[in-house]
Amino acid sequence: MRQRRVTMSGVITTLVMIFLYAPIVAVVVFSVDRDPLLLHWTGFTVHWYDVAVHDPGVSADFVTSLEAAGLSTVLSLAVAITAGLWFRRASARARRMFDFLTYSRIVLPEVLVALGLFTLMQKLGIPLGLWAIIVGHVVFNSAYATVIIQARFATLGMSLEQAAADLGASPWRVFRRVTMPLLRPAVLVAALLAISFSFDDVVSSLFLGGTSAETIPVLLFGMIRLHVTPEVNAIGAGQMLITTVTFAIAGLITVLRPTGAGEMLGFGRRAAR
Amino acid sequence: MGQRASQSGESYGRSSSLLESIESDPPPLSREPDDSSGGRISRIARFPRRAVLRLRGQGLLLPSVVSAGLFFLVPLALLLVYSFGSVNLLDYQVYFGWTISNYTSIIRSIYLGVMLRSLALSLGATLACLLIGFPVAYTIARARGRRQAVLLVMIMVPFWTSFIVRTYGIYNVISYNGPLDRLLNAIGLVHGQLQSLLFQPAGIGIGIVYSYLPLMVLPIYVALERIEPNLLLAASDLGAGPRRVLRRVVVPLAAPGIVAGCFLVGIPATGEYTIPAILGGGKAVMYGNVVSDQFLSLGNYPFGSAIAMALTVLILAVLLWLRSRAAKVESRTSR
Repeated sequence: MRQRRVTMSGVITTLVMIFLYAPIVAVVVFSVDRDPLLLHWTGFTVHWYDVAVHDPGVSADFVTSLEAAGLSTVLSLAVAITAGLWFRRASARARRMFDFLTYSRIVLPEVLVALGLFTLMQKLGIPLGLWAIIVGHVVFNSAYATVIIQARFATLGMSLEQAAADLGASPWRVFRRVTMPLLRPAVLVAALLAISFSFDDVVSSLFLGGTSAETIPVLLFGMIRLHVTPEVNAIGAGQMLITTVTFAIAGLITVLRPTGAGEMLGFGRRAAR
Repeated sequence: MGQRASQSGESYGRSSSLLESIESDPPPLSREPDDSSGGRISRIARFPRRAVLRLRGQGLLLPSVVSAGLFFLVPLALLLVYSFGSVNLLDYQVYFGWTISNYTSIIRSIYLGVMLRSLALSLGATLACLLIGFPVAYTIARARGRRQAVLLVMIMVPFWTSFIVRTYGIYNVISYNGPLDRLLNAIGLVHGQLQSLLFQPAGIGIGIVYSYLPLMVLPIYVALERIEPNLLLAASDLGAGPRRVLRRVVVPLAAPGIVAGCFLVGIPATGEYTIPAILGGGKAVMYGNVVSDQFLSLGNYPFGSAIAMALTVLILAVLLWLRSRAAKVESRTSR
């Protein structure tokens, strides 16, 4: 009886693994399939990648994606690091309020925040576009980065920084020479996660990009909805490669270095939303 | 201003025993004999004290105030204000006021059915995740060593890949004459006329399960892993069959993980926009789409704001309920 139950859940687990991987593998396989109708395997080709790379729309969107990811990551790190410095000194009540704001940015569905920002921009007459997308990404990325960097600060204590200050280092020097090196692994993980989330985001980028800025996921979203061409598979496989590699590096750092961010990788952005 | 200064002064006093010890009892070697007031040590010690105080200032909070206040609270507050306003549907001009008509029309409108159905769909998808995720978590928790690590990574890796590409992948799977169609035909669940799951609620449910399953498996796995094996042995020694052990011991002990998993899947699923937009074929079938459509295609911001606020309140209510339950469980276990 016991044996049978184990195999039951084992069988379900196997089926789930197939269910999880088959669709992803299919996208990659189709991206190198010669058949333009994507019905059968008719031979290997890199033609679709060639088409994608030489598509000016794709390159423009790729640049937009990189800009949004890079700038929102830098801004989010600035928010998270200053918040971490502040948090250590804050009163218990201020900490509770701060934590509530941080976690509510993670928990509330992205749609609500993106629509709120969309309405705010319309109201203030700020044009939608790259900067609106960056603002949208900073809202959630800064919350994740704050959680990661706060966790690292919590394990550090202050004695090293106090010692440096006692030995005559200016606050900026303490920050640069003592605090930042101690924080570095956590900052790196937070940065990689932010890049990966930003690069993979659909909702904020779609609502806030307006007509002037389009990221790769938004391009894919439109292509899938309107006209499925084999090019989608190539662009998708490329986009997937970037997010997966960024995420995997973050995972490796977490395993190898102390960051206090272990479970963040498990739960990710969509985790708590 | 004065309050702020005294606050940081206090925290300074609490945590700077190191500084104070140097000032009050300086190492004799480096002290110059005739220098009583402006000694090197005390000058150095005083400088960082002032400077560190400045660094500790509330100014450090400014970036967070912008990102959490201006970019997060203000937009939500704006939605709240809009939800009490009204709109002229001819020129899309929004008039502010204090009417609750947007909220009352939720109850009367055709949207009530849509919203209730969308909530039922999120709930169904969450339960499906639980039914599929529990056996998987159980298998991983029972596995040992290397096998366990491999299984855990295998569950997580799809989650690390691209969200949009995975949705596209499932789009292919459930599309007309896709693998699932053919499978259902082969085992005789569907006959003759192919009924594609694409653009059907069930298809969206599959998409949500596919995307969020790892978030169900992980917390349940963590909870199962924490169960003391002796408890299971004790239960079977006392004559409980495996089924009974599962029902009366394993599941209750894994309850916190199950609740956490349902919450981690249920909330984002309710607000999901992308999956239903792709798999639902443009029909507003999930809450996130219903709200977005009001803003993006219908231009009725006040009504959209009202249903957005209704969702926010619903989520906050669920969270508060969860928290009070967690507190109750805690006090019960600590007794």
